Amino acid sequence: MAESYPTLTQCALVAAAFKVLLFPAYKSTDFEVHRNWLAITNSLPLSQWYYENTSEWTLDYPPFFAYFEWLLAHLARLVDPAMVRIINLNYDSWETVYFQRFSVIITELLLVYALQMFIDSSSLPTRRAAQAAALSVILSPGLLIIDHIHFQYNGAMYGILVASLVLARCKSTLLQSGLLFGALLCFKHIYSYLGPAYFVFLLRTYCLSSKSIFRIKFLNCVKLGLGLGGIFAAAFGPFALMGQIPQVLSRLFPFSRGLCHAYWAPNVWALYSLADRVLIYFAPKLGLPLNAEALNSVTRGLVGDTAFAVLPEISPRTCLVLTLLSQALPLIKLFRRPTWENFIGAVTLCGYSSFLFSWHVHEKAILLVIIPFSLIALTDRRHLSAFRPLIVAGYVSLFPLLFTPAEFPIKTIYTVFWLVLFLIAFDRLAPASNKPRVFLLDRFSTLYIAISIPLIAYTSLFHQIIFGKRLEFLPLMFTSSYAAIGVVGSWVGYMVVYYTS
Amino acid sequence: MSSSSPAPHKPRRKPKKSDNDIDKPVRVRSEALVRTPSFPLAAFLWPARTSLSQWEVLPLVLMVVGLFRWAAGLWGYSGFQRPPLFGDYEAQRHWMEITAHLPISQWYFHDLEWWGLDYPPLTAYHSWALGKIGSLINPEWFALVSSRGSHDPTLKIFMRATVIISEFLIFVPATTVFVRRFSRLNGVNTWTSNLALVAILMQPATILIDHVHFQYNTVMLGFVVASMSSMLAERYMWAAVFFVAALGFKQMALYYAFSVFSYLLGRCITTGINPSRLFGIALVTIISFGVLVLPLALGVLYDKHRGIDAMPELKGSAAPLPIFSFITNYIDTQHFYYPIVEQLVQMVHRVFPFSRGLFEDKVANFWCALNTVIKLRNFPVELLQKAALGMTLLSIIPPNIILFLRPRKSALPLAFAATAWGFFLFSWQVHEKSVLLPLMPMTLLLAGKQGMSGEVRAWVGFANLLGAWTLFPLLHRVDLRVPYTALTLLWAYLLGLPPTSWSAPFQEGQSALVQWGTALLQSTFYVTMAAWHVLEASVIPPPGKPDLWVVANVGVGAAGFSICYLWCFWRLLRETDFLPSGGKVKAKTQ
Repeated sequence: MAESYPTLTQCALVAAAFKVLLFPAYKSTDFEVHRNWLAITNSLPLSQWYYENTSEWTLDYPPFFAYFEWLLAHLARLVDPAMVRIINLNYDSWETVYFQRFSVIITELLLVYALQMFIDSSSLPTRRAAQAAALSVILSPGLLIIDHIHFQYNGAMYGILVASLVLARCKSTLLQSGLLFGALLCFKHIYSYLGPAYFVFLLRTYCLSSKSIFRIKFLNCVKLGLGLGGIFAAAFGPFALMGQIPQVLSRLFPFSRGLCHAYWAPNVWALYSLADRVLIYFAPKLGLPLNAEALNSVTRGLVGDTAFAVLPEISPRTCLVLTLLSQALPLIKLFRRPTWENFIGAVTLCGYSSFLFSWHVHEKAILLVIIPFSLIALTDRRHLSAFRPLIVAGYVSLFPLLFTPAEFPIKTIYTVFWLVLFLIAFDRLAPASNKPRVFLLDRFSTLYIAISIPLIAYTSLFHQIIFGKRLEFLPLMFTSSYAAIGVVGSWVGYMVVYYTS
Repeated sequence: MSSSSPAPHKPRRKPKKSDNDIDKPVRVRSEALVRTPSFPLAAFLWPARTSLSQWEVLPLVLMVVGLFRWAAGLWGYSGFQRPPLFGDYEAQRHWMEITAHLPISQWYFHDLEWWGLDYPPLTAYHSWALGKIGSLINPEWFALVSSRGSHDPTLKIFMRATVIISEFLIFVPATTVFVRRFSRLNGVNTWTSNLALVAILMQPATILIDHVHFQYNTVMLGFVVASMSSMLAERYMWAAVFFVAALGFKQMALYYAFSVFSYLLGRCITTGINPSRLFGIALVTIISFGVLVLPLALGVLYDKHRGIDAMPELKGSAAPLPIFSFITNYIDTQHFYYPIVEQLVQMVHRVFPFSRGLFEDKVANFWCALNTVIKLRNFPVELLQKAALGMTLLSIIPPNIILFLRPRKSALPLAFAATAWGFFLFSWQVHEKSVLLPLMPMTLLLAGKQGMSGEVRAWVGFANLLGAWTLFPLLHRVDLRVPYTALTLLWAYLLGLPPTSWSAPFQEGQSALVQWGTALLQSTFYVTMAAWHVLEASVIPPPGKPDLWVVANVGVGAAGFSICYLWCFWRLLRETDFLPSGGKVKAKTQ
């Protein structure tokens, strides 16, 4: 069969031209965060990386990412030496912008490569669908908004993740897959949310015999153990030798943050907060006690610490238990039938659980669900109908990240473009399922997608016309509640699909 | 790609009995079924080849071109933080300021030293509407005098949005309709015409000048395309109305005036004498001009009635007319209509600055190139003016006579392009941005017969890339190298042109000799352009010649544009059967 068009490279090239044009666009504090890390890694010895605190944006990623910044800083110094000085807080010369933005585009090639691996690893009948899925990832509005406007290096990180997921497809490359994932954890520890799926999958397929779970493949265990040990030693070893591990860990896992992030990420806690707010009005009638302190905080939902007026407070421990419980369910099935499709499904569901139930989730973490899901969304129409509300909700929920008027058309038109294009394409490419679909779910997802249009119009335009500067939390609350319903709905929908297929 | 597929839709109304006898019957060449896209743009629309309907493709295309425009607009504009006079952006903003705040009779008189209004009335009305809307959002943006040189970032967003909205209201629909009509006329299928549409809308020079450097050229170009489109549909009066609108927006549309005139006249005479049509067109043209200046005239009368003078500083005494001062010998300055005359004369004086030089700055036309060899300053101005007039006429009369004798629809863009190239190369007072005018009709050729095949694509691409390249010094002055590089390379990549692919001239059609000749000629230019970029970036010109690189740019540009002129002219001769066309020869040999 002839290659299908457009190819991944072609799309990546044109998208790169667009991203270059976005150089002068709004950039969040993450831009300064990464510049500061360039400065720290370039001008200080290793022993001080995790202690330096001139800037409030201290180094809080694992060591591999720090090494990556250290490498980049060698080039950065040639481009503009002032960029790598620690005291140059909020330095953003044109050279700095060009360099940092360009480094994001270049490192994203990793994702292009990984997605090409994904396409090549698909069987011929599904290759067109795989290509469409790969294109949808490389053109994802999430990556555009987060990486190329807001500023982060997710493209490269997800490149490593996708490569690792694809390597898990073939028996002979299971070890590489596991090691690559280990390395990814040393780049960015948010991926540890996906760890349970990896653990179960590698345990079942690599460390235990496929015939009986009581026969342990010792050689494989040793290989995997030594490999992972080596990787973690390479990352954390230098700091362990200097006795800095507690300091590093305290930077990586700051437990002082609140349940909900500045905006409400569209998860269960957003719905919980919404319920709390609604209950404020009904509490007197129902005779529920009100927490006066929470009631008085005017900026509720907008600052980090959310206190609840009516409903009971949530502790980090509750979150952790809920997350692990909800992750455990799909893992049982994965353990019993460790196919690649189930593995990706389990990774997706682990992503869902962490996003829906974790403590202090950022809306950016939705990519943790969307990108693994993209790889299997076109398996059949049942998968697709669970995927559709997720992409609409996930990408719409990213809109509040960009609030400047100049970027408004970019985020909305690009997302609408992406949704129209890929909803049409997916609809054409997803094969019919051999199991009956849940009729209700389908109607729900169509209705849900339709609601997004007036919602975007209201939050971006009409709210300002009607209320001006007042009630600024309202559009945010609508967006996150709307998106939360979509994410939760698609989670439930996908759970059903996962267990019944 | 086979063009024998049934038409995708039925025309709503029955086709009019048209005087089509002059238009050649479409020779449908059986194109081999193409299995792979021959250039990346085709690859991008590849999935739309079979099943997607027009109404799914078009919105997606429009969203993409809109996104690229908006993203390009994030960059700086001309005159950004460059006092004292700033640049085109300030000029446009200033016109919104004065039209929104001053009585209409003072628009063409107000403080001419600070970007006085020097565009025709439609631009003034357009500015007025935008100024009023903008003042609703933020009155400070267009506050009289105090807003001069404003660099409010939200104002920039407003201004950028006005360019995009104006373009999407005029240029984009006009082009879409034109491409449909023109490709149907030439028997090109819908999918291929979509390729042409994307290519036309992604033209780098247009995006760079309008959406980055800042101007509203696409409004004028859009009216011209609408006029051409009406000619294709044989709605000649609409063609006249749209063309008057184009002229009324920007006098630069005069580059096309000869072609419009020849075509319309030809359609009234050479295709069978049709006096009623001729009379109708003439009448509609006059009425359109009347409507165009009517608000100005009425406004002046009303201002006079209110006791507002065009020039309050003169305290009621009439100023002498700037040009055509003989008029005062025939008209009493106290007559009620004298202010209108005065206003119109002032408008004409502002719009046509005869007193300016032969060329502005450094522009890649014949005179500026010649200036590097012979110093034209040493010649009397009258002689130069006559020379410019003579050369211009010499270059534009032949294509227009052809168009008059054989006013074929398929020859329209070629004649427009040839005439506009003639004006650009030889006329008086050319600005480097004027290169957009010949580029527009030439790029429309992509929608024509074999438009996306090798030869036409190679030449249209060559003209566009060269055009963008001659704009580089202008863009470079305001640090716009990055968007220039991104947009130009993107377009070259999409259409499979150098420096990304050198295969365009070698696809189908002509003899090997012509193919190699084309490739060699164009490659010489491409290599020169690339080398120029390297030199310009790395070598500082010798102290005696600070403008060395710009002058080199101008010389190469003028040479390349002359070749484009000749190519358009040659194609025009073939298209109108004054020369045997290559396809026929080939058909016979087969």
